[in-house]
Amino acid sequence: MTKMPVSAPNSFADSAASSSDAPILDVRNLHVHFPSGGGVFTERRFIRAVDGVSFRVFPGETFAIVGESGCGKSTTARAILNLVPPTSGEVYIDGHRVDRLGDEAMRPMRRLAQMIFQDPFSSLNPRMTVGGIIREPMRIFGLGSPREQKLEVMRLMETVGLNPRLMNRYPHEFSGGQRQRIGVARALAVKPKVILCDEPVSSLDVSIQAQVVNLLQDLQEQFGLAYVFIAHDLAVVRHIAHRVGVMYLGRIVEEAPAEQLYTDPRHPYTKALMAAVPHPDTVRERQRDQQPLGGEPPSPEEVFIGCRFAERCPLADFECFRIDPPLEGEEHRTACIRVESE
Amino acid sequence: MSSVSESLTPTLLTVEDLHVHFKTDDGLAQAVRGVSLDLLQGETLGIVGESGSGKSVTNLALMGLVPKPPGHVKAKRIDYRGQELLGLSQRRFSRIRGRKIAMVFQDPMTSLNPFLTIAEQMTEVTRRHLGHSRKEALAHAIEMLERVGIPAASRRIRGYPHEFSGGMRQRVMIAMALSCDPDLLIADEPTTALDVTVQAQVLELMKDLQRQRGTSIILITHDLGVIANICHRVLVMYAGRIVEEAEVDSLFANPRHPYTRGLLTSVPTLDGTESSGYAPSPPAPLPEGEGRTRRSRLTPIEGQPPDMASLPPGCSFAPRCPLRQPPCDTTDPPLFPRGDYGRHACLVEAHRNGPVEAAKEL
Repeated sequence: MTKMPVSAPNSFADSAASSSDAPILDVRNLHVHFPSGGGVFTERRFIRAVDGVSFRVFPGETFAIVGESGCGKSTTARAILNLVPPTSGEVYIDGHRVDRLGDEAMRPMRRLAQMIFQDPFSSLNPRMTVGGIIREPMRIFGLGSPREQKLEVMRLMETVGLNPRLMNRYPHEFSGGQRQRIGVARALAVKPKVILCDEPVSSLDVSIQAQVVNLLQDLQEQFGLAYVFIAHDLAVVRHIAHRVGVMYLGRIVEEAPAEQLYTDPRHPYTKALMAAVPHPDTVRERQRDQQPLGGEPPSPEEVFIGCRFAERCPLADFECFRIDPPLEGEEHRTACIRVESE
Repeated sequence: MSSVSESLTPTLLTVEDLHVHFKTDDGLAQAVRGVSLDLLQGETLGIVGESGSGKSVTNLALMGLVPKPPGHVKAKRIDYRGQELLGLSQRRFSRIRGRKIAMVFQDPMTSLNPFLTIAEQMTEVTRRHLGHSRKEALAHAIEMLERVGIPAASRRIRGYPHEFSGGMRQRVMIAMALSCDPDLLIADEPTTALDVTVQAQVLELMKDLQRQRGTSIILITHDLGVIANICHRVLVMYAGRIVEEAEVDSLFANPRHPYTRGLLTSVPTLDGTESSGYAPSPPAPLPEGEGRTRRSRLTPIEGQPPDMASLPPGCSFAPRCPLRQPPCDTTDPPLFPRGDYGRHACLVEAHRNGPVEAAKEL
C-alpha cells in the first residue's frame, strides 16, 4: 500500500508532509434544526439537534464526540458532509468552506472526507460484490483505469485484513466485523484526509470490536488520517481518541485531550456519564461510586435560557437556569459556571 | 457445583443437557449443544457470550418459545421446582410463562404493542394470570409502575408506548414482567439499547427488586461490566456450549478458559487499565502528554466465530485459540472442575494443572 497506482493530486504522502498547524476540519458554531410538528393550529416548533457546536480536527488526530442518544453527535457528523443541511454555522474541510455547497460542488469535497457507518449490514449494497463496493468511489471520481482500480481494490482489501480472493463475494457472505472492514476499505478508496466514523464498532461483538479498533489505529498511523469518532462507549473512546468533546443536548459541554478528560473530568455531566459506566472487573466495580444520575435529557424541542443540564445537575443553583454557559478554557474547555476553567 | 450454600438455598431451575438445533438452507445449525445449569433461588445468573453463542436460544428454549419447525429442542430434563417443562403443552406452558417465569427483552419498543395503552397491556397479564377484576388490575398496574420509578404513574398509564422514552419503556417492561410476582425473571440484554446513565438506573432497579422479593434472575448480556455489576454467578458460552462457569469474582480474578480471557483483554476500560485475562504484557501504562503514539493496543481474539452449521470436529474455539495443541483439533473437551465450584472446558488448562483435574471431568 506504499505505492499508490491511482494518481491522486493530494496523496497521503503530500498530506502527511503538510504542516499540521492547519486543521483538516474546522467546524464553527454549527446549528442543525429540524422542523417538528406544527400544523394549522399549533405553533411550528424546531428540534435543535445541533445547537452551536465548534471544534477543529488536525491531520493525524482522532477527535471523538461522545454523548447519549439524541445529543446530536451523529447529526453533527452528517451535517459536516452536508448529508443533512446545516441551519447555520460554517464548516471548512482542508480550508475549503463546504456548508453552503450544493451536491455538485460538494462532490470533490467528499474525496477529502469520507464516512464509515454504524451498521455494516445496511450500509453496503447487497447486490454488489465486495470488489464492486470498494471500487465504486474510484469509479465515481474517475481515479485510474479499470485495471488500476482492480489492483487497488485488492491492495485495499489486504490493507484492511480481508483476503483479496474474496472480491467477487457478496456482503451477506461476510460476518459483521468483516463487513465493517469492507466499509473501511470503501472509505479509504478515494484516499481521504479525514474519515467521519459514526459508531463504527458499536454493533460488533467485543472480540471483533477490538480487531476493528486496532485496524483503525493502524491505518491512521500508516496514512496520517484524521478521524472524527462518534461514539457512546466512553471506554472505546478513551482508547482511540486524542481529544474528546462531550455532547449534551446539541452542545459540546466539555472538550479536552483524552487523558485529561478521563483523569480530570470537570463538567458535572461528564462526571455523571463516567460514573455510570460499570467496570468489567468485580473489584473495581465495587469500588465505583454508584450514584446514578436522575432523570432523563429534556426534549431537544425545548428552548433554554440557562444551562441545558441544570435540571439534572447536582451543582445547579438559580443562576444556572438564567445563564447559558459558554465553553471556556484553552486546552481543556468546560461549559459550566460552577466549575473553574483553567 | 455451583455454590457453597447450595444445600441451604433451594434450586429453582435445573437444566440438563439441553440441545437446540435449527434446520437451515445451509444444513443443521446446532445453536445449543449440551447446556446444563442450575439456578438457585434469589440468585442472578449471568450468561455472557457473543452473537451466535446460543445464549438467547437457551433461554427461548427454557420459556418454550423456540419456533418449531425449524427449531428442535431436546434435553434430559428442564426441571422448574419439581415440574418438568420439557414437552409441556403450549396451553399448560402459558400458565407458567408470564406468571412464574417472566421475560424482559432487549428492545422495549418492539415488545410492547404500539396500538394499546400501557394500561391495557399491563392489566391483561394480571387479569389472565391472577384473575384480577378490571379495577384491581388497574390499581395493581399503577402500583407496579410507581415501584419501578415512573413519575405520575396514574396519568401516564393511559399513554401509548411511543409516548415513553427508551428507559421509561424498559421500566414499563420490567413492571409488566414483575406484575405477577414471578419467581424467575429472564432478562435478555435488558440494558443494551439504553444509554449508560439510564442503564445504571435500570440495573439499580433490578437489584432492588431482587432484594425485596428474592426473585431469581437470568441475565443475558455481552457486557462484562453489567456482569460485574449485578451477577452472582456467570456462564460463558461459545458456539452453543458452556465453556466456563464460575462465581463472578473468580471469573474476573482467575479466568481459566482462553475464550473468557480473550473477552476480558478485548474490552477497553474507562480507567485505561487492562482487565484480567492474559495480560501478555504488563498493563500498558498510559503516559501523559499528547504524543500521538501513546495509545495502547487492545488484544482482540483473532479470527471469526465458527459457522454453526459446520463446526470443527474438536474444540470449537481451537481455530482462534492461542493455547491450541494437537488434541484440541480432534477432542471436543468436556467440562472440567475449576476447583472453586466452577467448570471450564479447556483441555490444555486441565492438563496444565496436572492429571488430577484432567481425570475429574464432570
